[in-house]
Amino acid sequence: MKQRFLSIALALCLFVCGGACSSQEKTKYNTYSMDYFDTVITITGYEKSQGDFDKQSKEILDMFEDYHRLYSIYHRFDGLNNMCTVNQLTDGVHPTVKVDKAIIDMLLFAKKMHTVTNGKLNVAMGSVLSLWHDYRTVGKDNPQNASLPPMDKLQEAAKHTDISKMVIDEENSTVTLTDPLMKLDVGAIAKGYAVEQVALALEKKGVTGYVLNVGGNVRTVGSKPDGSDWSVGIENPDGSDYIAYLNVSDMSVVTSGSYQRYYYVDGKPYHHIIQPETLMPAQNGYLSVSVVCKDSGMGDALSTALFCLSKQDGLALINSIAGAEAMWVAEDGTKSYSSGWNKYVKK
Amino acid sequence: MINMKIDSTKKHNRNDIIFIVALLLIATFGALYLFVFRDGGNTVKVTVDGKTYGVYSLNENITEDIHTGNGNLNRLVIRDGKAYMETATCPDGICVSHKPIFRDGESIVCLPNKVVVTVTTTDTDSPDVVI
Ligand SMILES: [Zn+2]
Repeated sequence: MKQRFLSIALALCLFVCGGACSSQEKTKYNTYSMDYFDTVITITGYEKSQGDFDKQSKEILDMFEDYHRLYSIYHRFDGLNNMCTVNQLTDGVHPTVKVDKAIIDMLLFAKKMHTVTNGKLNVAMGSVLSLWHDYRTVGKDNPQNASLPPMDKLQEAAKHTDISKMVIDEENSTVTLTDPLMKLDVGAIAKGYAVEQVALALEKKGVTGYVLNVGGNVRTVGSKPDGSDWSVGIENPDGSDYIAYLNVSDMSVVTSGSYQRYYYVDGKPYHHIIQPETLMPAQNGYLSVSVVCKDSGMGDALSTALFCLSKQDGLALINSIAGAEAMWVAEDGTKSYSSGWNKYVKK
Repeated sequence: MINMKIDSTKKHNRNDIIFIVALLLIATFGALYLFVFRDGGNTVKVTVDGKTYGVYSLNENITEDIHTGNGNLNRLVIRDGKAYMETATCPDGICVSHKPIFRDGESIVCLPNKVVVTVTTTDTDSPDVVI
């Protein structure tokens, strides 16, 4: 009699305890790669074994490698038509280039984002952005000789930023830039777009419990194994503390900040987000702008666009997009939010 | 005789019930403790060359590859509330042979790779991702 009671009691104990401990069946794994998109890719995932995680993360990195090769504007690859090929000149004109569907789809998305952001996100700004890129590279390698790109050069380049000169033939899968002095720079959109495509591929396979972080473009795939949300900390630029602490699942968080990429000229910092009107680093008084929305490509485009907009115009833009919320951090550290931001803040 | 036997069985039964109730209470509170306090407990902080690399909860099983530059790697494992270095590319291997740490203030140091892992108690949970 006593033994029976004891065994029932023990069974109950194990049952209750087992329920509490069951979410520990899977281990949280992390891995990094610095090979693609000129940034750090972090993959976090819950799996039963290191082997399972290694297999899944390799599959993810293989996808990123493909997108990296296609979307790169700096690297050419043998036998592959990529964004470099689209930008190249043959006999003084841009040839019509047959490209992978992944490029066509990304450029169509970029065109859509150009409209949505009222031209603040413009992949046809390549000539302007490449001037800044060249001067920044020189200035970082050799701070003594750092200088700003001359305004007359910038203004000349700005004449060749009309996105309607980017002609996309979906049927034949070709791109033609009809202005020979125009160049595409997909830096503000390709990373986020690629992250979204990889996340969608994972979702299609039924994968959950993963987070991708590609140079500040965070995309969560499913929730954690115990059903709880992922916590995303948006760090202070000096790494001292978190300026925001969010709880999200199946969502993207993207931050654009003046501290992410910059160089000094005469002791003054010049960051990489260029205002289309002034052709200079955007100065709207922000340290950073963060966006939460489903689509990582959208988040990437919106965070850049908001950085180039006044608070009032930015608020109007974010309110016009269903399911998107934003946080602005002013240069003095003051934070302001769109109306629905609070629902993602960790309580 | 018969009466006595019945009495003793009854007594046994009462003791059993008290025992079971006590066990159940312990189990329930144990489970509650795990549910409620598992996130608020200790964390390990990893620094590389003096800079914060990451903060990880000790209440979760985690495997973290710490890349320290020049192809060097330390694999930190957190299992059953304890943290230890599973593998490392350092020549001395001192960090790998260090016993698992879990008490506040304990640390594992990898001098060649400039990695320091310290157990700390923090008010805020460590986020899953940091941007
Ligand atoms: Zn070591």
